[in-house]
Amino acid sequence: MSFGQILSLVPEALWESIYMTIGSTALAYVIGLPLGFVLVVTAKDGIHPMRALNMVLGAVVNFLRSIPFVILLFFVTPLTRFIMGRAIGSEAAIVPLVISAFPFVARMVEQSAKEVDRGVVEASQAMGASNWQIITKVLLPEAKPSLLNGAAVSATTILGYSAMAGCFGGGGLGSVAINYGYQRYDFLVMFVMIIVNVVLVQALQESGTRGARLADKRIR
Amino acid sequence: MAMIELSHLSKTYGSGENAVHALDDVSLEIEQGEIFGIIGLSGAGKSTLVRCINLLETPTSGTVTVDGKTMTSLNGKALREARRNIGMIFQGFDLLMQRTALENVRFPLELAHVPKAEANERAKELLKTVGLEGREGAYPAQLSGGMKQRVAIARALASNPKVLLCDEATSALDPTTTESILELLKELNRTLGVTVVVITHEMRVVERICSRVAIIADSHIAEQGEVQEVFLHPQTEAAKKLVLPSRAGKLEGFAEAEARDAADPCRGELIRLAFDGMTTDRPVIADMILSCGAPVSIVYADTRSIEGKLYGHTVLQLPGDEATADKLKRWLRDQGISYTKEVQ
Repeated sequence: MSFGQILSLVPEALWESIYMTIGSTALAYVIGLPLGFVLVVTAKDGIHPMRALNMVLGAVVNFLRSIPFVILLFFVTPLTRFIMGRAIGSEAAIVPLVISAFPFVARMVEQSAKEVDRGVVEASQAMGASNWQIITKVLLPEAKPSLLNGAAVSATTILGYSAMAGCFGGGGLGSVAINYGYQRYDFLVMFVMIIVNVVLVQALQESGTRGARLADKRIR
Repeated sequence: MAMIELSHLSKTYGSGENAVHALDDVSLEIEQGEIFGIIGLSGAGKSTLVRCINLLETPTSGTVTVDGKTMTSLNGKALREARRNIGMIFQGFDLLMQRTALENVRFPLELAHVPKAEANERAKELLKTVGLEGREGAYPAQLSGGMKQRVAIARALASNPKVLLCDEATSALDPTTTESILELLKELNRTLGVTVVVITHEMRVVERICSRVAIIADSHIAEQGEVQEVFLHPQTEAAKKLVLPSRAGKLEGFAEAEARDAADPCRGELIRLAFDGMTTDRPVIADMILSCGAPVSIVYADTRSIEGKLYGHTVLQLPGDEATADKLKRWLRDQGISYTKEVQ
């Protein structure tokens, strides 16, 4: 393929990758954000310890995180078909991506929320804050910069996974790299896709870091 | 009736062999409008004690009553409501780092669902009270330690509490800033009538603002009473350790000195003079030396001002010659100055 032809493949593939990544990340946060907070709140030293629930949720998260993504991709095919109506394509790839990403997101969120100074939580309790108020008015806003950093890390990780999904029926940069590059022994295609991917990761990471820095009032 | 009443309070962490008794049968009464000090060395249980007052720690047994409400019988919403009547400030300030000074002060009002405009008005007013007018928009990271504590004080007062708990509130501040924060607390106590409980390990904090003090040691209240009384005539070993701070350090040094002195006829016994506010104004030691014509050496001296009067302790080493030593001691007795033989 000529370089022009390769470049003409980029826009659609790039859009699919962004679509899969942003869509999966958003959905992973819909599940992972509350889950992360539940893990923090119900922990032994949390504001509402619930030992059994915390252990069960922790075990589920660990279980899902320990399944390699390539295997999970095939393992959840029936579920994907049930939800999306088909198991092929970028939309379909979102199902395994979300399933594999939300436990990761939950741990990232848990980590961020744990960074909030215990003293501040205690001071809020002394002022008569309810647990819900502590979550919404203390933990969430105080952890915001760290959460934004975590979101950037999560999004880049999911982008990497989306490329893997691309190899097995999903769309995006990964699928172009495999189908046009690997299968047809066109090294240049792979190379271009890698470059585009690198640029995308840089952009995601940079916007996350920048957002976190802008949001953080601890820096003068 | 007392503003705060702690009755037979105990707090035990863990159980069985590993049980740690942080508080053991502590009873205290703190009157409305006073500034009450609770002093103790680290690990004595003072932090646990203050945190039991607003039930940040749940006592294992005993009752806590604040402003007529039995805190220990409350939970859930009722407890949260009652906590709004008790402001608290901390050693680490514990401000919300992502909120401005104004938003921090507004925070407890938000928790109580006070309308925003009204809350802003009140927060501005409070910042003015603590001397931070014009810094409403500053984030904690942009403020000095003293300013942060001022924001924390304003925040603690936002809900108009009857009681202000200060948990080592000045321990992270330099002496000048400590002084200004203590001055502020004293003024707030005077103008708002808020009852202040000060937890500290520093004598000077208690001396500076408290009217009464309890000394806590080994999870017990060792001694309590008027600050002057307790500091001038400490009864228990724990109190002496705190009030006469050089004592612990001096023991080793003095033991060495004593061994040396046994061989040296020029060095005699050690006596401790206690000044009680009036005699400190007189040059007692100089008078003594001049009228007896005998030298003494000052081994240790510590005087301080408590509520405007001077108090202090001085340890003197008398000459080895017994006749001279007796002469000096007689002079002291004649002047009505009490002394005790300093023993190890």
